[in-house]
Formats: sequence, structure tokens, C-alpha cells
Amino acid sequence: MKILQENAGQLTNFEVLDFLKSRGAAKDPTKVLAPIAPSEFKVYDYLVQSVAKSQTRESIAKFVAECKPYKLTKSEIANIINIRPSSVVEIDPLIENLDSRLGESVEDLVQLVVEVFPPSPDEKKAEGTPELDESKGEDTADGSKAGDIPDESNFDDE
Amino acid sequence: MFNLTKLEHTLRLKPHLLSLSLEEAVKGELESLFVDKVIANLGLCISVYDIESIDGGFIFANEGAPTYTVKFRLIIFLPYVGEIISAKLKESNSNGLRLTLGFFDDIYIPELLMPEPSRCKPDADHKNQVIWAWFFNDEEYFIDGQDEIRFRVQNVKFPEIPKEQIGTKPFAPMKITGSLVSDGGLGPVSWWV
Repeated sequence: MKILQENAGQLTNFEVLDFLKSRGAAKDPTKVLAPIAPSEFKVYDYLVQSVAKSQTRESIAKFVAECKPYKLTKSEIANIINIRPSSVVEIDPLIENLDSRLGESVEDLVQLVVEVFPPSPDEKKAEGTPELDESKGEDTADGSKAGDIPDESNFDDE
Repeated sequence: MFNLTKLEHTLRLKPHLLSLSLEEAVKGELESLFVDKVIANLGLCISVYDIESIDGGFIFANEGAPTYTVKFRLIIFLPYVGEIISAKLKESNSNGLRLTLGFFDDIYIPELLMPEPSRCKPDADHKNQVIWAWFFNDEEYFIDGQDEIRFRVQNVKFPEIPKEQIGTKPFAPMKITGSLVSDGGLGPVSWWV
């Protein structure tokens, strides 16, 4: 076994969730098609309970485009997308040298996060979580995502 | 947390797989070889993302199975140092906390990396466990198992496979050490929201 390229691109939680969904994972174990291994299912379980379930490809692309003025590193952007901080105190551990780099505009950044990624009904402690809208729709032309994300081509299901 | 890694591997396809299409058979082999396994210094392999190329197919002398050289990408779980991850509490004892992500259990928060100052009290419900509490501004904040705990990845270790079994604990090929020390934002989500 040879390692050709060790880190060929960072994936946000949403992308992994999307990939597992397209392979056929679902909440209900009886509806799962054979191709999903039990360990992959556990990953799916974890991701479905995280903020990734209410994100869409478009909202992530939008966030990346709009947070450019804040000059965040790729890993910080990925972190924010994965955690979705909704207050200044939550975003504090995610970004290094917060005060010297962002100062006052931290609040604007938090506002942007909350706008682009609305909280899922779970977080509002409401009943009934709608499943993520299967709108993998437009492949965004925005290549400047957090990491070199390869083309999300359609997976050939067996 | 996740990244893509390109790998190349040479594998033999046993004849009983001849009924499947080449791509399916190769994918099945790769999955049984890599999925849910830790590759040293690379991380935990979650899934086969895609197959880039399948070359070869030669049958070497004395063998009954063709050998293929496959280039493919795997989704690898490998948090980087400094990343913030949300996990659930698995157990808490006097050495610190142990957290789990469901698919990955070996996340430890040692006592030294708990928020300052913290103290532990023996847990009435579970025999060997303790409840950690953080004292801040004269108030006690508990770490119970109720909600998710956010921590910062301090480092990721890949200990060597021991030659002999040490005690009864299964060997952990990948260990993440986390920290809850911060100016705010880390620890159970309910502390900050």
C-alpha cells in the first residue's frame, strides 16, 4: 500500500454526511442498503445529530464567499462550518488571536454565521426535525471552498 | 475532521468474485481492507470515496487470482491540532474524562487539561466514576453526560502495537488528547448557550 497524497483535501462534516447519504444511509436501519458498513453507519449517526444535517451545499458556498473579508484560515472556516457558533463566546476558541485580528467585527461574523446557517429545529428544542432537503442541486462553481474539494460527481450506486 | 487521502494498493481478486463487475469487486475488497481501520499516522479510514484507476489484471505464475493495482481515495478521520470537536461523555474518572464520537471512542481529556479550577466528586450512581465540576465566579458548573462537550484537540497519537497483550484493555491504535482550557466556549454546550 502506498500513500500517494496524504491530505488531498479537507472535507466539512456536511460533505461526508452528503456522501454517506448518497450511498444510501438513512435514519432507519431497516431501510439501509447493503453497501453501508456498520462503522459508516455510526459516522452517519454522529453527523446527523450535528449541525451538518441542516446545512446545504449552497449555504456553505455562500458562507465561504461572505467570510472572505475576515481573512480566516481554511481550517478556521471548516471549524466554523462544523460547529456553527451562535455567540461570540462560542467562536472564541475557534479563531486564534481573535482580538487582534478581528476586534469588533467578531459580532458581525457571528451574525453572518447565524444568518447563513439557521439553527436546526432540534436546537430550538422544537418537535419534528425535517430531513435535510435533498437539494444537492447546483454544483457550485465556487472552487474556493475550505480545502480542495473535488467534483461531487454522481456516485454510481451498485 | 475529515480529509481525503489518495492511496495506491495492489490487491488480488479471488476467483469467487468473478461474477461481480470489476469495479464492484475492487470496491468490495478495498472496503474490507480499509474501512474502520486505523492507518498509522494517517488516521481512521471511514469510507472509500472513489476509485481513480484500476490497472493490471495480470495473473502471476502459481496463482489463480488476477492482481490489480488500484488508485483510490479514502475519507480519513484525522482531526488536526487545534480543531474544536463536539463529543459525548463516555466515562469520567479521577484521571479525567473519556469522550466518544460514536464511531471513535479514544478521546481523553486528562485532569491537567480540565478548565481551571476543577474538582471531582465521587458519583453516587456509578461505582468507579466521578463527576467533574468547574468552579468559576463562585458557581459550580457540572460536567454531566447530558449534552455534548466541546473540546480542543491537543494532539493525536498513534501508539505502537504492543507485542503482548497488556492487561484486559483492548489496544487503541489512535488516541486523541483533548483540552478544555480556554477563555470560554469549551466544555459542555449548556455552559455557554
